[in-house]
Amino acid sequence: MTINEIDRALADRASGDPASESDVRVEVATQWQLMWWKFRKHKLAMFGGALVLFFYLLAIFVEFFAPVNYTTYNEQYVYAPPQMIHFFREGKFGPYVYGYKFERDPVSFKKTWVIDESVIIPLRFLNRGDSYKFWGLFNANLHLVGPVNAEDPFYLLGADKSGRDVFSRIIYSARISLTVGLVGVFLSLTIGILVGGISGLVGGRVDNLIQRLIEILISIPNLPIMLALAAMVPLTWSTLSVYFMITIILSLLGWMGMARVVRSKFLALREEDFIMAAQLDGVPRVRMITKHMLPSFLSHIIASITLSIPGMILGETALSFLGLGLRPPVVSWGVMLQDTQKVAVLANSPWLLFPAVAVIIVVLALNFLGDGLRDAADPYQ
Amino acid sequence: MWRYLFRRFLSMIFTVWVISLLVFAIIQLPPGDYVTTLVNQLVATSSGSTTISSEYIEQIRESYGFNQPIYVQYFKWIGKILTKGEFGYSFVYKRDAVVMITERLPMTFALSFSSFILVWVIALPIGIYSAVRQYSLGDYIFSFIGFIGVAVPNFLLALILLFVTYKYFDQAMIGLFSQEYASAPWSMAKLIDMLKHLWIPALILGLGGTAGLIRTMRANLLDELNKPYVETARSKGLSEARLLWKYPVRHAMNPFVSTIGWTLPGLISGDLIVSTVLNLPTSGPVLYNALRAQDMYVAAGFILMLTILTVIGTFVSDILLAVLDPRIRLQ
Amino acid sequence: MADNDNILIQVKDLKIHFFTNEGTVRAVDGVTFDIRSGKTLCVVGESGCGKSVTARALLQIVHRPGKIVDGDIIMYRKKGQNQIEEIHISDMEPKGRAIRAVRGKEISMIFQEPMTSLSPMYTVGNQIMETIMLHTSVDKKQARERALEMLGFVGIPRPERIVDEYPFRLSGGMRQRAMIAMALSCNPSLLIADEPTTALDVTTQAQIIDLMQGLQKDYDMGILFITHDLGVVAEIADNVAVMYLGNVVEYSDIHTIFNDPQHPYTQSLLRSIPKVTATREKLEVIEGMVPSPFRRPSGCPFHPRCTKAMPVCSKIEPKTISLNENHQVHCLLFDDDVKNSMRGMAS
Repeated sequence: MTINEIDRALADRASGDPASESDVRVEVATQWQLMWWKFRKHKLAMFGGALVLFFYLLAIFVEFFAPVNYTTYNEQYVYAPPQMIHFFREGKFGPYVYGYKFERDPVSFKKTWVIDESVIIPLRFLNRGDSYKFWGLFNANLHLVGPVNAEDPFYLLGADKSGRDVFSRIIYSARISLTVGLVGVFLSLTIGILVGGISGLVGGRVDNLIQRLIEILISIPNLPIMLALAAMVPLTWSTLSVYFMITIILSLLGWMGMARVVRSKFLALREEDFIMAAQLDGVPRVRMITKHMLPSFLSHIIASITLSIPGMILGETALSFLGLGLRPPVVSWGVMLQDTQKVAVLANSPWLLFPAVAVIIVVLALNFLGDGLRDAADPYQ
Repeated sequence: MWRYLFRRFLSMIFTVWVISLLVFAIIQLPPGDYVTTLVNQLVATSSGSTTISSEYIEQIRESYGFNQPIYVQYFKWIGKILTKGEFGYSFVYKRDAVVMITERLPMTFALSFSSFILVWVIALPIGIYSAVRQYSLGDYIFSFIGFIGVAVPNFLLALILLFVTYKYFDQAMIGLFSQEYASAPWSMAKLIDMLKHLWIPALILGLGGTAGLIRTMRANLLDELNKPYVETARSKGLSEARLLWKYPVRHAMNPFVSTIGWTLPGLISGDLIVSTVLNLPTSGPVLYNALRAQDMYVAAGFILMLTILTVIGTFVSDILLAVLDPRIRLQ
Repeated sequence: MADNDNILIQVKDLKIHFFTNEGTVRAVDGVTFDIRSGKTLCVVGESGCGKSVTARALLQIVHRPGKIVDGDIIMYRKKGQNQIEEIHISDMEPKGRAIRAVRGKEISMIFQEPMTSLSPMYTVGNQIMETIMLHTSVDKKQARERALEMLGFVGIPRPERIVDEYPFRLSGGMRQRAMIAMALSCNPSLLIADEPTTALDVTTQAQIIDLMQGLQKDYDMGILFITHDLGVVAEIADNVAVMYLGNVVEYSDIHTIFNDPQHPYTQSLLRSIPKVTATREKLEVIEGMVPSPFRRPSGCPFHPRCTKAMPVCSKIEPKTISLNENHQVHCLLFDDDVKNSMRGMAS
């Protein structure tokens, strides 16, 4: 047994052991890589993330995904029920839906819609239909799917009181409802970072005062306040101004949670050794915040943003549903749900509740995504 | 403990004061004053046939002191509430706001309180179960229901309830009383009738809160289950069930009780929208109409009173915390 | 092994594995030792070597997903005169009635963190009385008296006041004394102490150790003392088990371990403590780090860090070899078969 033998044995083992390689992989991975690995393990969050991505893509290309424009109406088909899409006709691919006809209820003599299986309405993918100005920039008329004959009724999720396509309107609403969430969250994030940052950095009395204030604001039921503020938006305002006003109102009532997150992170960071080390090294304050503090809680901020968007979306939906939020002709999921306020209408046309399904799916997806992000934000646990 | 409670009490008074300022500021926000609104409304409702005398307008303006600086107006407003219990006048209903408040507020209290009890009774055991049996089938099912509960807006549940009762029972589930009791004076039978109707809206109102609370309880208890004092208790020879209730559950109750601070405002907000949809005789529909019509004294009165209700609830939770946790009691 | 009649606990080839999603961790992998009444066994090792898990196994309170997969834990219970009953703790259900009757009565445990090991929600007295009333048939008044008595025994001044005090109002040292009072309230025959002095300052540490030694004499109980502090070991131990990655690598009496250690790991451990008498010299460290529990090295788990490693060490798992009646080593250097085959290769 010589020294050389031992060395060789040690060298053999070191090179041949796959375990040591993956240990190294973990050791050199950046924080963001670690977070991604942890996030990837969270199946539900991955699924939620994919759904959220899908919805935002939908929101970007609404004109293409919607079969018709949201303003397109047909008085002939008021409250027409949803149609089923069939893909194969006589064994060949050829999508179609059935037409409608009226029937009189033998008991109540009420006129009701029924699906008429004798009428076949052929559909076409990548159909040329309603023309629109994509993003207000260039003209187009391409839609993902639509009836070959533009006059034919095509109501996947039924029609509303003016004979407008609920499905198309839900897709158009995605743009409004989802951006209200996004813009609102960024506004409240700005307020939150400002207030929370001051609270966490200055500390002492200022911090105490701000915390009391936040406690008070949280103890106020926010819907009445939101409604009170929304009720003041003059009826004469343009739809764009109303949109921004509603977004501001939502964020005015939603920043408190964000401020708390920011503050607690600042306070926690102040105690961290690497901040102390930077301080002792004489790193300027601004640089310290941007270079050392921000990156370490960016992940938490992203998670809180994701978890705050649902509140904004639900808030907008509630406001608009009550008729104090966005107003027609702007179309959002809440605006669409206004139609369901009359119980008789709702009873005969339950498909008017479909916008709510969209709300639920988006909110669920954002919650799943946010939960996964929050877990991944602390990759070292 | 008394010092702690005294401090919390002072902070409650302070909170109410700040809220009154806030509410007043909101009333002052719209352009013009109530008299302009009133005049507009009078003109609108009478379709232009009546003219309102300028003396009458001046008279009202005088009675509310609209010509005075804003802080004087605030003190007048809050002073009347504090000394005489007067909340102003409803321009829409042509009644004293205080009458409407005393009529509706107890019903809101009844609804919110029963909803709150329901939330706790459901969320507490489920939260404990989900934590103790983490990753079991039951845990997954409850987690899923919890997610749904957070995502479904409560007015949608109210709408579905309306739809189902209208479609299949031929009568929309509206209101809190059967027809024969609706306008009857209060009696034992009426109370029982109300309780029979109350639980459905209470459940609808509480669903979102229940889901949130289950998750809170589960997370808290999971944290506590791994604490060293649990191991100590186990190493003493306590049975799992006794140990669970005496130690981790007791510890996890603490943050659970603290959630009262945000469940109550949520319930009040929920009452506004759910009661409006279901047309319940609570403050919801009246407040909604007041807000839409800019009937601001009524709105301000309601918001103030509802907020005070939640603040009192938070104070009660502070007392409860002190009773539960010696660390708070002895500080 | 000498004086068998004093044996309290015998642990034989104990294996505890943790079944996690990332793989199985062999936290304890064939541990053998025994504890005698009136004596202290110190289990020493770096964090993650399985010493705490072993201790918990004696009470069947190993955390999920850990499980005792093999081996035997036998408790010898004195039953009348000269009669000894064998109790197989390893066969008991972790949540069952049988083991619960042992916990806190015959075997007690105190923990590292006196701050968090007592619940802040209940008074010290409440938590001590709970143990007493659980295992003996006394009423509340008697239990309280017993609690007061115990608090006095452990050197707490004015016990009648402390008994109604909440733990968070006591100092760390006082809390640990209260913990000891609680653990000893039912006269256990074995006290397990899992790093009971690590969280305390040096003065308090010394007081607590003095207290434990005094109480051990008074009650003639066995102590299983877990620590990573060799200074504490020198003070309190009768026998020492040195653990590394789930194995007892060396087991002997205190004098042998400190004066004539045989296992390379024990040797380097001892070299890494500073000597008061020594002139300035560089302190030795053990090269490398404790490997990740998921990447347990093949053969002898210590070989990557061992200064005397042979090629064979990465291939064969060592057996426990008795150097004499009271000295066992878990190392291939002392394996006759290995020695013989190497001699064969050389010639």
